[in-house]
Amino acid sequence: AAPRLAQRGRGGGRPGAAAMTWSATARGAHQPDNTAFTQQRLPAWQPLLSASIALPLFFCAGLAFIGLGLGLYYSSNGIKELEYDYTGDAGTGNCSLCAAAGQGRAPPPSCSCAWYFSLAELFQGPVYLYYELTNFYQNNRRYGVSRDDRQLSGVRFALFHPANECAPYQRSAGGLPIAPCGAIANSLFNDSFSLWHQRQPGGPYVEVPLDRTGIAWWTDYHVKFRNPPLVNGSLALAFRGTVPPPNWHRPVYELSRDPNNTGFINQDFVVWMRTAALPTFRKLYARIRQGNYSAGLPRGAYRVNITYNYPVRAFGGHKLLIFSSISWMGGKNPFLGIAYLVVGSLCILTGFVMLVVYIRYQDQDDDDDDD
Amino acid sequence: ILRFISDFLAFLVLYNFIIPISLYVTVEMQKFLGSFFIGWDLDLYHEESDQKAQVNTSDLNEELGQVEYVFTDKTGTLTENEMQFRECSINGMKYQEINGRLVPEGPTPDSSEGNLTYLSSLSHLNNLSHLTSSSSFRTSPENETELIKEHDLFFKAVSLCHTVQISNAHTDCVGDGPWQSNLTPSSLEYYASSPDEKALVEAAARIGIVFIGNSEETMEVKILGKLERYKLLHILEFDSDRRRMSVIVQAPSGEKFLFAKGAESSILPKCIGGEIEKTRIHVDEFALKGLRTLCIAYRQFTSKEYEAVDRRLFEARTALQQREEKLADAFQFVEKDLILLGATAVEDRLQDKVRETIEALRMAGIKVWVLTGDKHETAVSVSLSCGHFHRTMNILELINQKSDSECAEQLRQLARRITEDHVIQHGLVVDGTSLSLALREHEKLFMEVCRNCSAVLCCRMAPLQKAKVIRLIKISPEKPITLAVGDGANDVSMIQEAHVGIGIMGKEGRQAARNSDYAIARFKFLSKLLLVHGHFYYIRIATLVQYFFYKNVCFITPQFLYQFYCLFSQQTLYDSVYLTLYNICFTSLPILIYSLLEQHIDPHVLQNKPALYRDISKNRLLSIKTFLYWTILGFSHAFIFFFGSYFLIGKDVSLLGNGQMFGNWTFGTLVFTVMVITVTVKMALETHFWTWINHLVTWGSIIFYFIFSLFYGGILWPFLSSQNMYFVFIQLLSSGSAWFAIILMVVTCLLLDIMKKVFDRHLYPTSTEKAQLTETNAGIKCLDSMCCFPGETACTSVGRMLERVIGRCSPTHISRSWSASDPFYTNDRSILTLSTMDSSTC
Repeated sequence: AAPRLAQRGRGGGRPGAAAMTWSATARGAHQPDNTAFTQQRLPAWQPLLSASIALPLFFCAGLAFIGLGLGLYYSSNGIKELEYDYTGDAGTGNCSLCAAAGQGRAPPPSCSCAWYFSLAELFQGPVYLYYELTNFYQNNRRYGVSRDDRQLSGVRFALFHPANECAPYQRSAGGLPIAPCGAIANSLFNDSFSLWHQRQPGGPYVEVPLDRTGIAWWTDYHVKFRNPPLVNGSLALAFRGTVPPPNWHRPVYELSRDPNNTGFINQDFVVWMRTAALPTFRKLYARIRQGNYSAGLPRGAYRVNITYNYPVRAFGGHKLLIFSSISWMGGKNPFLGIAYLVVGSLCILTGFVMLVVYIRYQDQDDDDDDD
Repeated sequence: ILRFISDFLAFLVLYNFIIPISLYVTVEMQKFLGSFFIGWDLDLYHEESDQKAQVNTSDLNEELGQVEYVFTDKTGTLTENEMQFRECSINGMKYQEINGRLVPEGPTPDSSEGNLTYLSSLSHLNNLSHLTSSSSFRTSPENETELIKEHDLFFKAVSLCHTVQISNAHTDCVGDGPWQSNLTPSSLEYYASSPDEKALVEAAARIGIVFIGNSEETMEVKILGKLERYKLLHILEFDSDRRRMSVIVQAPSGEKFLFAKGAESSILPKCIGGEIEKTRIHVDEFALKGLRTLCIAYRQFTSKEYEAVDRRLFEARTALQQREEKLADAFQFVEKDLILLGATAVEDRLQDKVRETIEALRMAGIKVWVLTGDKHETAVSVSLSCGHFHRTMNILELINQKSDSECAEQLRQLARRITEDHVIQHGLVVDGTSLSLALREHEKLFMEVCRNCSAVLCCRMAPLQKAKVIRLIKISPEKPITLAVGDGANDVSMIQEAHVGIGIMGKEGRQAARNSDYAIARFKFLSKLLLVHGHFYYIRIATLVQYFFYKNVCFITPQFLYQFYCLFSQQTLYDSVYLTLYNICFTSLPILIYSLLEQHIDPHVLQNKPALYRDISKNRLLSIKTFLYWTILGFSHAFIFFFGSYFLIGKDVSLLGNGQMFGNWTFGTLVFTVMVITVTVKMALETHFWTWINHLVTWGSIIFYFIFSLFYGGILWPFLSSQNMYFVFIQLLSSGSAWFAIILMVVTCLLLDIMKKVFDRHLYPTSTEKAQLTETNAGIKCLDSMCCFPGETACTSVGRMLERVIGRCSPTHISRSWSASDPFYTNDRSILTLSTMDSSTC
């Protein structure tokens, strides 16, 4: 039968024939489903981006943006800001003495200086006190990872076993764990400020109460940062067996006398631990909202007493002190308003250009159609 | 140094997202899933043969949109491959078959006789075949008996020299049934690997020489009702080099015959007797009518000769080494000194809509080459009838070139002719031998000529030559995408050689379909496959790839810019989870769905305006210019995200109403949020075809991002070592300024793009965009398309689930959206099962 098989050689006809007979028995078995999906006929909206749609869009968007922009701009303009660079470059006020004293010494000696300013009119409240550091790269990766969130959340095991990311601020030279560990904690900002108000010229300075709470995120303060469980009702005992970071003058449980504001949940500390995005950053220091000052800072002369500890001149940084009022949109930020205005007017401008083009080419198209 | 290396590696890790793995995954998924649509397409379904289009590879979908050259086989591809016996030339006389009778035609040697007498003699002849032979033989004149003898032998040859099979069931039925007496040819089912043979055997049966069957050793032929048994001694199988086959049989009388059948070029030179010249003329005449011709010849063996033949064949067949060559030698030895009997001409009907398809392909800017093994005249006439050549075309010929120099001269002449009269379209006819000459030495010249011809016809091609031609075009400097269509085993080499191989599931078996990338049932489906599916796939994949690069440029550039502000410390701007999920979850689905469903123009428009295909030719959508546009767009968007956020924070003023500060993670999340929204809405701008799925994934992606971020930031994850993202997103959203900034940045990014699109559309509209304009408002409203739309399909369950979840799909809504879309879709679609969808599914 071998030659017979070979006869079929050309084209291998039999499979085809078999398929034919088979298909005769099951006609339509291979017919694809006739559905909208398989036939790519799903009902669909088919928008076209033509000038007739884009034109009103551009004008509407333009007008809306200009409106918004004006609103934002004036809203931002209503916010007052007062800032003072107290780094202490030579000849810039009395902080230069402190700066000079701290030059090349680590740790720098404790030093006090003051900033005097006067307000001609009411500084509309609520007023917030910020400090600003420049050229300080809190966003450096190696700096930013140098922390242990488990330790900060009060896990006792983690307190005594800081994460390796904290190195070289993981353990002290004596092998004791550092609490709080890491570079971020070690570099905690430790200048402090107090504000004094002189109502009448020549009168006495009255201390303006600074509210040092509510400066950290609510969730950070209440959830993310937790003190380790107290031992015998004492926070100090809970931290026994740890050492503070090398740059710190006092242990973490003595950051404040207020038991709700000390240890890991000290708000200055919590604020510091939220690393900033850019090398120039501000951090909230205090809110002024108590007593006579809830409506703002009344006019008069003021003095800010500065405890000058934090060395910034080594890395070419600056320290600034800022009083700022706050609206719903935050601090003074003209960018948003201006950007809205610019984009809005661009919209309208391109809208007009488009209109001209549209009309001209419309005519041309019509001419084409006539031809 | 170590520090440097680790920094370098860290940056590498940071920026490897530019070309994401997910691009490959998405492209593969798109190709795989997208290729289903070809198989599902009812327009590519052939009802008669119950065959739908098959996709054997999903890698080439977009190439379908890039085809510049189509190489098509003729037989079975352009034609039905359903042969119909039309004419024959027996012993120098031409006959036509009309209603199962042979009628002589044309000027005959004895034209002195009147037509009438001739016809009567013919009717006589035809009567003969229905009566018993003995009575007629006596009454007929001497020359007619001679004629009839020749006829007899001719048709015997036709009905013996083949490899046709008879389906057993039918023969049994015929043998036992009541029809035995008036056995009609139609009741016998012949199966043949070659439709020519089938047609010939059937024709012989109609004439009266019925092939009844072959058992192991014998072939039974019923000649005018009388059964004759021929002993089948040898079969010399057909092969495409010899272009002929022959059988050796032993007649009942004991004489041994060899019957040979084959192309005229392979038979005539072997003939030593018979009306060779007249037959040659007739064959040429047949060919001019576009008929396929075969010549039939025989040889009678003396017993001595047969012994020699038998021995040689046996030796060759049993040879252990070099059997092929020995067989060829033996065949050569056997098939000689033939006496020509005549020639047959069978017609191969064109498939329907071949002309339209070729015309459409040509309008689409695709050059169509027909490669066929047929005779030059046959090929030209078929080309003319199928619209491949126009009457107005200037047809250049490069045939019968014997020598190199001659061929070169001819080519130069052709090239000159093309340059001289460039008004007319040119068609080129080349035959196999000339082609091999031209390809050997003068490839460049030949290519030059070919490129200037809008239609090229290559005839007398061997299968390997077909592949060679394709290779030649493929490696030409423009590197065009080639497509080959064929149906038979002889087309396999060309199908495999071309970039895209398309097999026609025809009558010559499935080799071609199996070896092809796509298999379709009819040639006419090619136009939909290329013009609609190819176009769609190309648009989809082009947008997919460029969009992927765009979105990752958007993704990584802010990251890069951020390094300038963090001392190049490789600080990531986004959280690691966001880095991972960006390409996987947040931005993957809209583009995938887009790349599956996008139809920038209605398919009908694409099919009716083949010229739109030119809009995407030469890989236009992936050209440097468009790619640069996307990349620059990505960069500009990235700059807007980053510097928008940067200036928003400015000197790091508070953005919260309570005066508290953002950190670096909030900054990154702000950039990321703007990015996710912009990138998704950018996809929305690209989408022209909004089905409910598109709505779902587009808006769903954004919503998912928000929900995910809220969830991710809302919990202190116990297994994560860093809790950087805790409440960051919620803090971000609680800032009014951030909201305004997000809106501003998203709108600014998109304005750029909208501006470009609108100006492009109005200043330099492509024909595609013009075509889009003509069918605006044809679709349905945005809201309606949003309504989830389950048909009676596979997606029903999904649809139902979605409805339950979303619960916005009221029955009335559905019917409304249908009524809106109905008139549009029913235009020229006959069936619409979807309209039967009842509201109960909702």
